[in-house]
Amino acid sequence: MLIFDQLRKDDPQLRTVALAVLAGLSLLLAGLWWVQVVGQNEYQANLETQSFRTVRLPAVRGKIMDRNGIPLAENRPAYNVSLYLEELRRPFEEAYAVAVTQARANLRAQAEQREKVLRRSLNREERKAFVLGSKDKTEIRKQARFTVASNVVYQVGRQIQVPLTLDRTDFERHYDTRLALPYPVLKNLEPIQIARFQEQSASLPGVDIEIQSTRVYPYQSSAAHLLGALSRDDRSLEGEEAFFSYRLPDYRGDLGIEFGFDRYLRGTAGAKSVLVNNIGYRQMEQVWSAVEPGSNVVLTVDLRVQQAAERALLEGPQGIHTRGAAVVMNVQNGDVLALASAPTLNPNHFIQGFPRGEWQRITDTHAQKNRATQENYAPGSVFKTVVGLAALEAGVSPHENLTVPANPNQPNKGYYQLGRRVIRDTAPPGSYDFKRALKLSSNTYFISRGLQIGPQAIVALGHKLFLGERFGLPTRQETGGYFPDPDRLRARWTDGNTANLSIGQDPVLMTPLQVAVMISAMANGGTVFWPRLVARIEPVDTLSGFGPLQYPSGLVRGVLGVKPRNLAILHEAMLSDTEDPDGTGRSVRDRAALPGLRICGKTGTAQIMDERNVKTGQTTWFASFAPYEKPKYAVVVMVEDGPSGGACAPLAGKIYQALLEMEKSAEAQGAVARLEGGR
Amino acid sequence: MMRSGFLFSESQSRIERLQVAALVGLMLIGAAFVFSATMVTEAAGAAPWYSQSWFRQMVWYGLGATAGIAVCAVDYRIWARWSLVIYWGTILLLIAVLVPGIGSMRFGARRWIDLGFFQFQPSEFAKLAFVLAQAHFLSRPVDELRAPIIFAKALGLMALPFFLIMKEPDLGSALVLLPAGLVMMFVAGTPKRYLVRLGIVVGVLGALFLVDVLFAPHNWQIKLEDYQRRRLLVYFGIQPAAAPGATKAQQEALRRQQFDDSHNVRQALISVGSGGWMGKGWRRGTQNALGYLPRAVAHNDFIFSVIAEERGFVGSVMVITLYGVVLFTGIRISGQARDRLGKIMAVGIVMIFFSHVFINIGMNIRLMPVTGVPLPLLSYGGSSVLSSLIAIGMLQNIHIYRKAY
Repeated sequence: MLIFDQLRKDDPQLRTVALAVLAGLSLLLAGLWWVQVVGQNEYQANLETQSFRTVRLPAVRGKIMDRNGIPLAENRPAYNVSLYLEELRRPFEEAYAVAVTQARANLRAQAEQREKVLRRSLNREERKAFVLGSKDKTEIRKQARFTVASNVVYQVGRQIQVPLTLDRTDFERHYDTRLALPYPVLKNLEPIQIARFQEQSASLPGVDIEIQSTRVYPYQSSAAHLLGALSRDDRSLEGEEAFFSYRLPDYRGDLGIEFGFDRYLRGTAGAKSVLVNNIGYRQMEQVWSAVEPGSNVVLTVDLRVQQAAERALLEGPQGIHTRGAAVVMNVQNGDVLALASAPTLNPNHFIQGFPRGEWQRITDTHAQKNRATQENYAPGSVFKTVVGLAALEAGVSPHENLTVPANPNQPNKGYYQLGRRVIRDTAPPGSYDFKRALKLSSNTYFISRGLQIGPQAIVALGHKLFLGERFGLPTRQETGGYFPDPDRLRARWTDGNTANLSIGQDPVLMTPLQVAVMISAMANGGTVFWPRLVARIEPVDTLSGFGPLQYPSGLVRGVLGVKPRNLAILHEAMLSDTEDPDGTGRSVRDRAALPGLRICGKTGTAQIMDERNVKTGQTTWFASFAPYEKPKYAVVVMVEDGPSGGACAPLAGKIYQALLEMEKSAEAQGAVARLEGGR
Repeated sequence: MMRSGFLFSESQSRIERLQVAALVGLMLIGAAFVFSATMVTEAAGAAPWYSQSWFRQMVWYGLGATAGIAVCAVDYRIWARWSLVIYWGTILLLIAVLVPGIGSMRFGARRWIDLGFFQFQPSEFAKLAFVLAQAHFLSRPVDELRAPIIFAKALGLMALPFFLIMKEPDLGSALVLLPAGLVMMFVAGTPKRYLVRLGIVVGVLGALFLVDVLFAPHNWQIKLEDYQRRRLLVYFGIQPAAAPGATKAQQEALRRQQFDDSHNVRQALISVGSGGWMGKGWRRGTQNALGYLPRAVAHNDFIFSVIAEERGFVGSVMVITLYGVVLFTGIRISGQARDRLGKIMAVGIVMIFFSHVFINIGMNIRLMPVTGVPLPLLSYGGSSVLSSLIAIGMLQNIHIYRKAY
């Protein structure tokens, strides 16, 4: 080395010093190399963990719309007033400085007081009691922060004319754990409050309006069960960034369509990073993955029909306390036009909170249960359509008469004697052919025919209707009902069972939706469709290159393979049920104007027995389709503990009225479209 | 004063240009990074330019350079003749600074004399005065150095300021005296056996001191300021467990305390390490801007972290190279000195300078424990800049009056 060589050879001490200095500087260089070059990634990572906070940004949830595009679930901006704490830093500091000066002065005054009492100056030890400790300072700092923030909150409250107070624990928790995020002061501002804020509070430091998207169901409880419910959940989905410092409120579907189509509806959450300083205040923000909004789900349901079905249930035998369900289906393709369940609930409450007592009501009445798909009911006499069809298929002549004897205990009712068991009938004694038996719902006739053709024939037809099997609905609200399988017929099967089955009791249980699918199959000539609830999924971003995802309509699940002649006989018998003056379903027109609409129907009343064979309730039904000439719609109404199946018929009538109106307006629109197209 | 044309005379009075160039380089870097380290808050930017730190630093450079040139005006042998006066003068100041009322207290230490416009730090000048006095004392004929009494006196000369500075307390500044004193004795020709024994004694005492501070039960420990002890604990990576039976809150408090204690060192390391090869660019360092590197120390004791973060390894190498130039030209000056006095004095100054650089940069990368030792010419601070430039002035003085070839 240049300088080293210039040192005289006879000066070993200086050479040693030079070597030592060289060694020292080399050691420093080596250390710097180790830290800056070898360790740079580690320290870079350390730097990032301490100065970046990541925030999960929930996507805007997709809408759920009826078949005509009317939104049943959508999003509205919710306006929150928030405190941006980093902008309040200076006021915090100033308030703290004032408070500390004040506290010091107080302590000094106290010390002087003490000196006066003692008549001497305090010594070192004694003085310590009058010095501000770091704990005191922390407390003063907290207090100063809270005072400043609560003053701002108070001013905001005064200006938007809502009394506002700041909750200290809540504020401090936010300060300690979520400092990089704004602190929400008031959520869901009314438009007038927003206006007042914009007018007056814009000059307040550190306060601003923050917009958040919230879920709303504009038709309140309409289609509540089908739409389902959301719950607060901001966890990461699979395939999403898993580690976030903070997560903004997000929701996840728990039930219904909100659950079943959650992955389409919720979109893809984005992420932003917030650069924070050493105390944790926000300095800068950067969005590094953008939010992708969720897709819209278009249902097959028609809002007008749905609302009519819901209104009809409210007009049921027990008024607003009616428990029941109504299903409307297009018999030609399985599209569900309405799926109503009563009592109902308001899905908005899951977001905004339940009013007092509401949750209690919901649990007491099991209002959250979708009675159209989620509960098993004995179909009762409605099932006679299946037994009747099976008998006709087995070669029983519809014109063959059967004489029903009078019940010795009730001379004006028939009965059936099975061994020692007497099965009561609601129909009078006399001579019955197929049509009369169906329209008067004679138990004796159908039990006789059931025993005549044997249970295998009935069960075989039931299986062609997929009874006892689920549809696999995407709503998490489904039960499959119950229907005996052939194995069950071989083991401990008695004529008593056959008799029960023939009148839709005990070993058969169905959901109203299953009844609707069954009736549709009978109406349309024997095709069993998969019920369709969702027509398509439409991406919001039409430029994304993904078209709507279409769910096919009219997906065939199976065919009955019955003779059209027999179906025609069944149709005619069902028609007489509503049109003949003695038909059980004649009241379908009671409260509805149904010009020119001929309805085929069947009533049903199923007894509900407890384990000791004591009657605890009954399920009443009206299952129908119309028009008779060219079947289009199936309407099924079920009421728990209704007086009779006949009492359900007028509810169905109301629904038919809505269907007629729907057709009329569709026709009018079609005419307008034709006119416009022709111009 | 006798020969006013000395600075510019061709034959004898040439200054050491390379060293001066390195100094200018260091001062430019110093001004630039004091600017970067301090101009991070709105308040700092809002102050008038003449009261901003970087400008004050430049003023100190100016004053220091003037003082350095003034030092050159008088032959170092004449300075040496007055060395004892200067020495005892600074000793008086060191005593004065310990007196409450004269010395002002900051961060729990009494190191400054408040002159209103300037916080005067006597220890910075005491180091220099010690070198001057020690060089004068050791420049006697080599034979005399063999006498134990001379060795003892030399030790005493070093011990007095050492303990006074320790008392402030300013452990770092005190420790700087040790390598300077030892190396000066070594170069002066003090018999090896003395130095070896001294080395052993200092080593054993140091080790005992550390063991005592770090591990001894509380009432057996040497009285150290709490923060000093904790800094040593941090350096040696020792985290004493909470006393048995401590509540959860106490344990938490202790953990918190230990975390806070190591905060500066950790943040300095993150600053230096995240700089990588090339650094983030001037005024682009986030550690300092976001306040992770504490603002109170970023522009003085930890200025190197700021430089390393913003200029990376390349910048670090540049800084060390510049210091290397200053140090090695200093050693050459020592080798070319006209007499033993000059040689010993020059080597003493070089060692003081070197110790500062080593301790300060070392503590930025956790090679050394944290002590309040400034980085010469880069750290913000009047006393440090002034004494550094006076020291360099003395080196140049020795160079100017070196042997004629």
